[in-house]
Amino acid sequence: MAAPTYQETILALERFWADYGCVILQPYHTEVGAGTFNPATFLRCLGPEPWKAAYVEPSLRPSDGRYGENPYRFQQFWQYQVVLKPTPDDVLDVYFESLRTLGIDPVRHDVRLVEDDWEGPTLGASGLGWEVWIDGLEVTQFTYFQQLGSLDLDLITAEIVYGTERLAMFLQGKTSAFELEWAPGVTWGDVYRENERQWSVYNFEQADVSLLTRRFEEHERDCERLLEARLPIPAYDEVLKCSHAFNLLDARGAISVTERAAYIARVRNLARRVALAYLEPRRRGEAAAEEKSPAHAAA
Amino acid sequence: MRRPPRRSHLPTLLLEIGCEELPASACEAAAAQLPDLVRAHVWADGEPRIFVGPRRLAFLLQDLPEHEADRTDRRRGPSEEVAFDAGGKPTAAAEGFARSNGVAVDELERADGFVWATRRTEGRRMTEVLPDALARVVRGLAFPKTMRWDGGGLRFARPVRWLCAKLDGETVTVSLDPIPSEGTSQGHRFVAGEVEIPAASEYAERLRDAGVEPDQDVRREEIVRALEDLGEWSDPYGVLDEVIHLVERPLVLTGRYDERFLELPARVVETVMQSHQRYFPLEPGRFAFVANGGDPDVIRAGHENVLAGRLDDAAFSYARDVELGIEAMRDRLPAITFHARAGSFAEKAVRLASLSEALGGGEASVEAAALAKADQASTMVHEFPELEGVIGAVYAREAGMPEAVAKAIEEQYLPAGPRDRLPETAAGRVLAAVDRVDNLAVAFALGERPTGSRDPYGLRRGAIGLCRLAVEGGLEIPVPELVARDLALLTEQGADVSDDPSEVWPFVLERLEGLLDVPVEFVRAARAAPVAELRAVALLARALAAAADSASFTQAHTAYDRASRLAGRANGAASELDPRLITDEAEAALVGALAVVAPRMEAAVEERDFAQAIEAAGELGAPVGRFFDEVLVMAEDRAVRANRLRLLLDVRDALAMLGDLSQIPR
Repeated sequence: MAAPTYQETILALERFWADYGCVILQPYHTEVGAGTFNPATFLRCLGPEPWKAAYVEPSLRPSDGRYGENPYRFQQFWQYQVVLKPTPDDVLDVYFESLRTLGIDPVRHDVRLVEDDWEGPTLGASGLGWEVWIDGLEVTQFTYFQQLGSLDLDLITAEIVYGTERLAMFLQGKTSAFELEWAPGVTWGDVYRENERQWSVYNFEQADVSLLTRRFEEHERDCERLLEARLPIPAYDEVLKCSHAFNLLDARGAISVTERAAYIARVRNLARRVALAYLEPRRRGEAAAEEKSPAHAAA
Repeated sequence: MRRPPRRSHLPTLLLEIGCEELPASACEAAAAQLPDLVRAHVWADGEPRIFVGPRRLAFLLQDLPEHEADRTDRRRGPSEEVAFDAGGKPTAAAEGFARSNGVAVDELERADGFVWATRRTEGRRMTEVLPDALARVVRGLAFPKTMRWDGGGLRFARPVRWLCAKLDGETVTVSLDPIPSEGTSQGHRFVAGEVEIPAASEYAERLRDAGVEPDQDVRREEIVRALEDLGEWSDPYGVLDEVIHLVERPLVLTGRYDERFLELPARVVETVMQSHQRYFPLEPGRFAFVANGGDPDVIRAGHENVLAGRLDDAAFSYARDVELGIEAMRDRLPAITFHARAGSFAEKAVRLASLSEALGGGEASVEAAALAKADQASTMVHEFPELEGVIGAVYAREAGMPEAVAKAIEEQYLPAGPRDRLPETAAGRVLAAVDRVDNLAVAFALGERPTGSRDPYGLRRGAIGLCRLAVEGGLEIPVPELVARDLALLTEQGADVSDDPSEVWPFVLERLEGLLDVPVEFVRAARAAPVAELRAVALLARALAAAADSASFTQAHTAYDRASRLAGRANGAASELDPRLITDEAEAALVGALAVVAPRMEAAVEERDFAQAIEAAGELGAPVGRFFDEVLVMAEDRAVRANRLRLLLDVRDALAMLGDLSQIPR
């Protein structure tokens, strides 16, 4: 059997999780460092409503750029993100089933779950979980969220993040992402190598520090204004924009270690306020429901 | 005649807590706690056999009694006057008390003015007790980090997915909803499904049939034996303890990597293998890994690819670093923060060089101090923090620095732990010492000294390392002087100093108390000696302990005790001894003895020959004794009295060169 192309691997994941009952979403329109930042994860995993979704997310890590010269490090790569809330009891079995669908038979491979507790300091997010190794290669991060927006969660979400390049490299037996066959006759490098070069130049050399510093503050102010207006969903986009501006400033080496902690705290504070604002109508709703409940009526 | 051993009919109990893959630290925590939890909640005399691994925590308990132990409770009731009327008949109160305790009224005892009921509770059958008792064992486990995963309310290191409890062949349903407890287990995640456990005693055997080795010691032995068979293997970062909890059925295999990576420093290759992948280095070009099953040929290729990729990445970073060079890295240090309120690594380097000089470290250590932190600007340290120092030394050699400088850079973080080796070179010891002194001084000066279990900078470990550098490494470390110098530099550099770091000295000395092989009171005595130098305090403490039973020490101790007791209590000592006021013969003898002994002690202390100093001090015993026998200190003449008090203070101060001898009980 010929190895699947990169796009076939992604399509197989889409098919598998659609069949499982997930809402299949498209990537978000705003720069994010990981699929966790997409509101389909951050906002939807707050509160008591069940939610199952899956999507591809371009993850931007400006400081990981290597000018297209390192076959393992990129400033943009593609995650396949799955969130299941609440967590089904057999979530790991379902995950391993998805690997079988991709053509990975766990019986023939060395599959291990290696402790990796995840923390996203800008989002006030944390969880416990693993790196999933197949024959020593980390192909997935699996996390049971415990906190988002610095708030303990009502329902625990299982987050499954496939590194699509890693997975495809494994399936195609390639040692460089640039050599991955994306579609027949087209490689990952054909599509993105020049991107990597130019964006690395931008991230490390050209990004305008004073412009970004100003933007960070403008987005922060706008986020606060939108929170006042009780619009947590647009306010959250401003958090993402702050976070990306911060990542760029960091890649430019424009932030000292002290400032770094302060910037992170500012973004985390906004994320927490957005989370609270997002939950507020639900909390009000609960209170109203309780007042109307017969138990209260009797009392 | 000995009776043949009676065959035991007492049952064996199994509890298995089935989990999603547990961290090694959780396995170890459970192994440490389970025996006590079993004794607390199941059977006080139990000696359970413990099994821990990535997907299960379990114990087997043999010869469990069929019943709990019987219990007797004696309860106090109403007073006798209330319980019995004037005619001695029980009142309603007595009847009520008896009834509520399940005894007859005539079974009530009378004692100490009250009535008492003794209630015997027969121990329940184990089968009744176990569902709750086992649930308490599960809930009682504490882990460094816990999580939630469903509505069950249990917090655990990872989700608990099943429980399997058996009393011999009988299934016990553990009361921990909603976790299923049906008397079955699970085999290896990919090669076996549900496993029947017909009886508790068959637990290990049934799991082995299902692809799982449940016994952590057996897994360890299997792995070590297989590694031994492969020849020379090593585990420089100690990953074996973790690896035995990463697999349920260890499969030890080997792989190769390309010879071109042998051009990398050996430590880099080892670090790449161990720090992330948990591989074991074999001879150059070959490594061993422990898999959790799978087809050896398939997985070998995968692991080889992954290692090649990681080595490639490391080679890329290494080449960039070498191209940049250590001096260019040093020039980048002003941009790298050492501590948010104490400036950059460049400023730290200035302090280290100055302290090295103060410590008499010589040219190599001063030069090394200036370059010691340059590797903080390297890509390799960014990728592999555990290489700090080691990789700096490699880059120093690449740049043609003297070997003594490179070696000192390499050794600056030694000893890394209480049993780790010390730096081999003098320059390395100096650099290691001043680095620790600076870490301590900075933290204390910024008000960040360790409190309770909070010690984020590892300062306790650092202070212990400092003590070892003095005690085992023979380095003279005048901590107070170095701290003062460091503080001056920090202030000059504009650091945000908020506290006085002179507390570093007692903090370090407290570590010395725990480290030295002498009773703690000798260290406490020596701490007070006016030497202000770590090695000297240690030597003095040992000398005091060694001399504790000698006549000299006893004499010195008694003299110190008497002199300090009287002189310390009385005010009005003269500021200086006036020889014209010496009238008494015994007084003159003491003055004469002191004039001989004090300089001898001083010279001996200067030479750090504390045994000699103690011997000299002992010679004050007789004259001090005679002085107290023959001379009235509190003489009527104020001037004479003041002069005698001064003499006693001088005696005390001379003896105090040996520290505060009152710390040592006689």
